[in-house]
Amino acid sequence: MNLMTFSKYLPYIFEGSLWSLGLVLGGLGIGFAIGVTFSLVQVYGNPLLRRLISFYVWFFRGTPLIVQLFLFHWSIFPALGINSTALTTSITVLGLRSGAYQSQIFRGAIGSIEENQMLAARALGMSNWDAISSIILPQALRIAIPQISNEYSVILKDSAICFILGIMELMTRAKYAAIATGIALIPYLIAGLIYLVLTYIGTMFFNLIYLKKRIPDSVEG
Amino acid sequence: MVKDLYKRYGDKAVLRGVSFEVEKGKVKVIMGPSGTGKTTLLKCIDMLVKPDSGKIWLEDLELTDPRIDVSEARRKIGFVFQEFNLFHHLTAIKNVMIGLTKVKKLPRGEARAIAERSLLKVHIDRELWDKYPAQLSGGQKQRVAIARALAMEPMIMLYDEPTSALDPQLTREVLEVIKELAEDGMTSLIVTHEVGFASEVADEIMIMIDGRIVERGDPRSIIYDPRREETRKFFNKIMKIGDELR
Amino acid sequence: MSFWNEFFSKLYIGVLTTLQLLAVAIPSSIILGIFIGVLRVYGGKIEKTLANLYVHIFRGFPLLVTLMIMFFGLADIGIRLTPYWAAALAIIVCSSAYQSEYVRMSILSIDEGQSLAARSLGMKRSVEILYIILPQAFRIAFPGIGNEIIYMILYSSLAYIVGVNEIFSVAISVNSIWFKPTEVFLTTALIYLAMTTMASYGLKKLERKLWIPGFETDVKR
Ligand SMILES: Nc1ncnc2c1ncn2[C@@H]1O[C@H](COP(=O)(O)OP(=O)(O)OP(=O)(O)O)[C@@H](O)[C@H]1O
Ligand SMILES: [Mg+2]
Repeated sequence: MNLMTFSKYLPYIFEGSLWSLGLVLGGLGIGFAIGVTFSLVQVYGNPLLRRLISFYVWFFRGTPLIVQLFLFHWSIFPALGINSTALTTSITVLGLRSGAYQSQIFRGAIGSIEENQMLAARALGMSNWDAISSIILPQALRIAIPQISNEYSVILKDSAICFILGIMELMTRAKYAAIATGIALIPYLIAGLIYLVLTYIGTMFFNLIYLKKRIPDSVEG
Repeated sequence: MVKDLYKRYGDKAVLRGVSFEVEKGKVKVIMGPSGTGKTTLLKCIDMLVKPDSGKIWLEDLELTDPRIDVSEARRKIGFVFQEFNLFHHLTAIKNVMIGLTKVKKLPRGEARAIAERSLLKVHIDRELWDKYPAQLSGGQKQRVAIARALAMEPMIMLYDEPTSALDPQLTREVLEVIKELAEDGMTSLIVTHEVGFASEVADEIMIMIDGRIVERGDPRSIIYDPRREETRKFFNKIMKIGDELR
Repeated sequence: MSFWNEFFSKLYIGVLTTLQLLAVAIPSSIILGIFIGVLRVYGGKIEKTLANLYVHIFRGFPLLVTLMIMFFGLADIGIRLTPYWAAALAIIVCSSAYQSEYVRMSILSIDEGQSLAARSLGMKRSVEILYIILPQAFRIAFPGIGNEIIYMILYSSLAYIVGVNEIFSVAISVNSIWFKPTEVFLTTALIYLAMTTMASYGLKKLERKLWIPGFETDVKR
């Protein structure tokens, strides 16, 4: 096969980035919801819940994504009677996993501002929940932006692993192009470069948000 | 010996033609207001910063000669820093030994013996030898730093405000050590704001202002009878600060 | 042979293979990471540029892409690596890029005085880096390097994709014979959990052992 025939596969591979981004956005979103909730429980919740969350975090950070994908797809979801497609499994597992990491990011961010700010808010006569939702969280989220940006680039690269379930994302398409053309080096290099570019675009995007939302002179993460 | 030294940082001329000599066994003190280039001068002499022009000799070795091996030359010059700069990850005695083992390539046993002698010379007792810098007081740190420089058997010691990071109590123990070394015949060039100390140890005091040595002479005449107005002002100022401290 | 018998006897080999992979990948990536980190700080213009390029590429590519390039891609240009070496190299190259970043930042955080003092004693640059800068930088970078070690344990599971007979590929093959996904993947997850938990315990111990009184506070000053 020559390069000419290969060029036919370029758009095909490029299209995969949409699927990859879909996985990433889904995973990041679910992870965000879980991360914020769990971090709050870990800081303010009762001991039993905190234990449970620590266990959750320990499990998801201590096992490989590829194992989690298979475990959920072939065992846990079927056992729960959930009929999950490859796509829904991928997004859910990416999200559950990212939730474990994000909860630790937010926990750190909350920890870094909690003491002083909580006292001040209480002094103003705010209730606990008011203080958390209007004082603590907004600040913690801003402080955490650089780490969330990092989490984005981690999930982006992790999403490649979902090719194992046959999602038509970048990696799978690069593989098909390699098989069809008999050239492996080029499609994988191209896939790699696309990931690299997507990482930079995402990082720039988060940087912009950070610059806009940053509180002047705030503690930076 | 230093001749006609010039150094600028960007468009800021820090040293503007400095020349002097420290004869063997002599102690010279440099004094002057903050930011006039004293640290820069010492760093140039140790070739830690490259001067723009001018020459520096260590006896008959020209340090500014681009062909010489500067690290070879540097070990013959002891440098004591204002902020001590002990190696954080090494114990007191290892701080002193490392130059001997890694630069002079002495065997460990010999290096240790020299290090012990140096430490005793600066009155750091045995029980402190295995302490890390963070476990030492400022005065102890600075004395270990002096021992570290001393162990290399330098031909001259350069001290850059060795006590300005210390409180008066600790200052005394460090100055005492420097004085003892000087009395033993250690050739020294000292930057300090301690007027009393300077007048005791110095063979000559040089006043440096804005990158130039504006006045020099024996301690008594420089301190009590300066010829230049700016020198007088400078001493008035630091004496006053000294009084306030007391 | 019963399911569990077969599973465990195969797992035993899988664990050994995974450990073999890590035994090469972990030390090599640390050494390479330190080397590249040093180049990025002290290298000349060309070295710096090359080292930065290396880091940008291998941090930007998902490990999976690098792995495919090592195994399938390099074969296109006549370099045929065994599955084991393709996996080992991919992990080393990827992880060292991340580690060099920790090393670089640690070196930059060391105060200028350390270098001045080293040079004033007559140390050559190489001696200064080896005996003064690196011992300190390594301690500062240690938590980051430790995280990388945990990641290497997790991501070694990707070696399955190029046919290394490690833990996860044992799981896949046993599951395809017996189809007991719950038993297989849960056990697999537990094995990884055990490995990462032991590793982080060991790393904590080691960190405590490397600890020097007041070290962090002194350096961060
Ligand atoms: N690396 C550098 N880059 C740029 N400017 C510098 C640098 N080092 C020193 N300077 C400037 O050179 C001038 C002289 O500095 P130097 O440290 O030699 O003064 P000093 O006489 O030792 O002052 P002090 O009594 O405060 O220690 C200062 O204005 C300083 O800001
Ligand atoms: Mg100074």
